[in-house]
Amino acid sequence: MRLKDYLKENRILAIALIIYLAVLIVDRNIFLQSLNTAWIYIEEMLQVLPPVLIFTGMLEVWIPRGTIMNTFGSKSGISGKLASFSLGTISAGPIYAGFPVTQTLLRKGASVANMTVLLSTWAVAKIPILLVEIQFLGVSFALARWSLTIPAILAIGYLTGKIVDREEIISEIGEIEEIVQKMLDRLPGHNCGACGYENCKECAEGIAEGEAEPDVCKPGGREVEREIKKLMEEQKTNIKS
Amino acid sequence: MNIFVLVLVPAAFILLVWSVLKDRDKTKKSLEVAKGMFLKIGGEIFGLLLLVALFFAVVPQGAIESLLGGANVFLSSIYGALMGTVLILPKFVAMPLAADLIAEGAHIVVAAGFITTLTMVGFVTAPVEIEHFGKKYTLVRNVLSFIFALMVALGMMLIL
Repeated sequence: MRLKDYLKENRILAIALIIYLAVLIVDRNIFLQSLNTAWIYIEEMLQVLPPVLIFTGMLEVWIPRGTIMNTFGSKSGISGKLASFSLGTISAGPIYAGFPVTQTLLRKGASVANMTVLLSTWAVAKIPILLVEIQFLGVSFALARWSLTIPAILAIGYLTGKIVDREEIISEIGEIEEIVQKMLDRLPGHNCGACGYENCKECAEGIAEGEAEPDVCKPGGREVEREIKKLMEEQKTNIKS
Repeated sequence: MNIFVLVLVPAAFILLVWSVLKDRDKTKKSLEVAKGMFLKIGGEIFGLLLLVALFFAVVPQGAIESLLGGANVFLSSIYGALMGTVLILPKFVAMPLAADLIAEGAHIVVAAGFITTLTMVGFVTAPVEIEHFGKKYTLVRNVLSFIFALMVALGMMLIL
């Protein structure tokens, strides 16, 4: 039953498995050959994804919002671009391994332009690629491509940041994040712990997830309770519409 | 296994040990975050990789070379960039392929456009990107990357 639910949520995987089953019935050779090639990719994914995700998890719990804002935020200027580029260039693995890290940074206050620089560098200008490129295509080819690609990455970052708004992305990817922020804005912010949570942010997450009641904040009293209930009503109508 | 993975895995391990020593609860939370992300991204990626592998098994050997090695540089460049957009290939497969293309007479622009779009523009990874950043961002980033990849490729012709 749980497998069925998982496949329902991961349609691409379900489709792939069905097609593979069909191929197995029709042509065993193609099936085996595909599986062989797939294993090369999957091996790479299994090597890279777990450590990268562990880093992302650490980032989530250890690095405060303010630090990320200062390093990668919209006011970080050239040093922010440099930081994004550096992080991308020492990365490993295909672009999809970069999505979770980049999303975490973005949620914690990084700018769209900088995160696009990070993703593009991750994809196309990381040191592992440079090494293989020099090996197969030669130094002059690699240098020429890189000297053109780096300005292109900056331009792509700049333009994407101009066209796509950070708030747009945040609200499109997660209703819950936005509501947590709004609740947090209404809580007193003493981080007193009277509600049983370590701080107000965790309390807001708890309320948003339905784990805690809207009246859980003692210092906030009636006032805060009313504000939070109002927010939850708004949220409900938003989801319906 | 490449050297960066050899660095990445021990580095993640050291960080984990440091984190456990400093705060067990936070470490537990961070691992839960990592696990959640893996479940979310892992299934989709796994499916995509299976499909791309099948594509390579079905497409006849040499088909890519003959398409990209054509005499018309302009057309082959467009093909190269489009193919790079649609496919995902590990770099140690893509680079030798590009080298073969040049050796067999394909223009340098074709190879450069192919490599740049291959890594930066992701048609296949778009569903995963949309899940992380939304539709608008995914569209804008990929379209811009495609345009700039072509410009990089054309620029190569001027430099080399």
